[in-house]
Amino acid sequence: MRTSLTICWLVMALAVPVVAQQTSVTGVRPLVFGTVFPGVPSSVLRTDPLNSGQFDLKAHPGGTASLTFLLPAVMTGPAGATLPLVFGGNDAGFSASQSIGSQVAFDPRTSYLATFVGNRASVFLGGTANPSAGQRAGNYTGTITLTVVFF
Amino acid sequence: MYTATKVAVLVLALVAAGAVTGQAQNNATVNVTAAVQQPVVVLKTNDLDFGLVFPGVNKPVTLGSASAGRFSVTGAAGAGVNLSFAVPTNLTSGLNQLPVTWDASWNQSNAAGGNNFAPSAALTPATLSGTGALFVFVGGTVAPTVTQVAGSYTGTVTMTVTY
Repeated sequence: MRTSLTICWLVMALAVPVVAQQTSVTGVRPLVFGTVFPGVPSSVLRTDPLNSGQFDLKAHPGGTASLTFLLPAVMTGPAGATLPLVFGGNDAGFSASQSIGSQVAFDPRTSYLATFVGNRASVFLGGTANPSAGQRAGNYTGTITLTVVFF
Repeated sequence: MYTATKVAVLVLALVAAGAVTGQAQNNATVNVTAAVQQPVVVLKTNDLDFGLVFPGVNKPVTLGSASAGRFSVTGAAGAGVNLSFAVPTNLTSGLNQLPVTWDASWNQSNAAGGNNFAPSAALTPATLSGTGALFVFVGGTVAPTVTQVAGSYTGTVTMTVTY
């Protein structure tokens, strides 16, 4: 009985630190189109260090995670006006080194399986805003959500 | 001993289950933002009128003339725009043609003196004023031949302004 209890406590002692290791995702920088003009599409590259969206991830070294964006089709502006958004197949990037200059491109419209090297990584996002010729002037906003499932 | 074994097995089972289903899900958001500027609006404020012309005598209309064509443009304060024109090479009266050449200028105030350019399909950069205003003046010269057929000749000048 004593032997069994000892094994039990050892197992629990080993298990607790594994469970306690932290994973997280944090929104770091908004995707900013800045000033846009009616009828003139405006694009932000995922490699843009000032205007691309950025999320920072914390994970287990060598682990994997699925990345899934919830992307708005429009931004909402004055009096409920909407401004269409388009995200292309090359508009997201994963950097295992958290370097905007070293990304692996992926399609933000579908889930992506990322592999970590260290315990930190970043995800960058670009896109295109398509204001109509008669787009109402004013400020427009939307929300981009990144869901990360760590394995 | 039997009870302790059951506890150990239970703990191992829980740990194993945790290893199999060891997933953690996290969400985060960022905003996406844009500031849409005022649409550009173009109005004709005066037609270009060469008035009476005589066969064999060129007739200019200067940019500062009351007869010059004028456009008023409004848009985002201080914004850069491009001007492009569709201009005819001849005014027409039925099948008869009257050759014409063109001059233009743009200014942030409503005065003909400003930035001269030749209106054409090529883009001409201009800048709206601090209040979002721009004025474009169009003049030109008609060159009737000595055998020009009498009549009323007309044409259309179209200016397009884009950010």
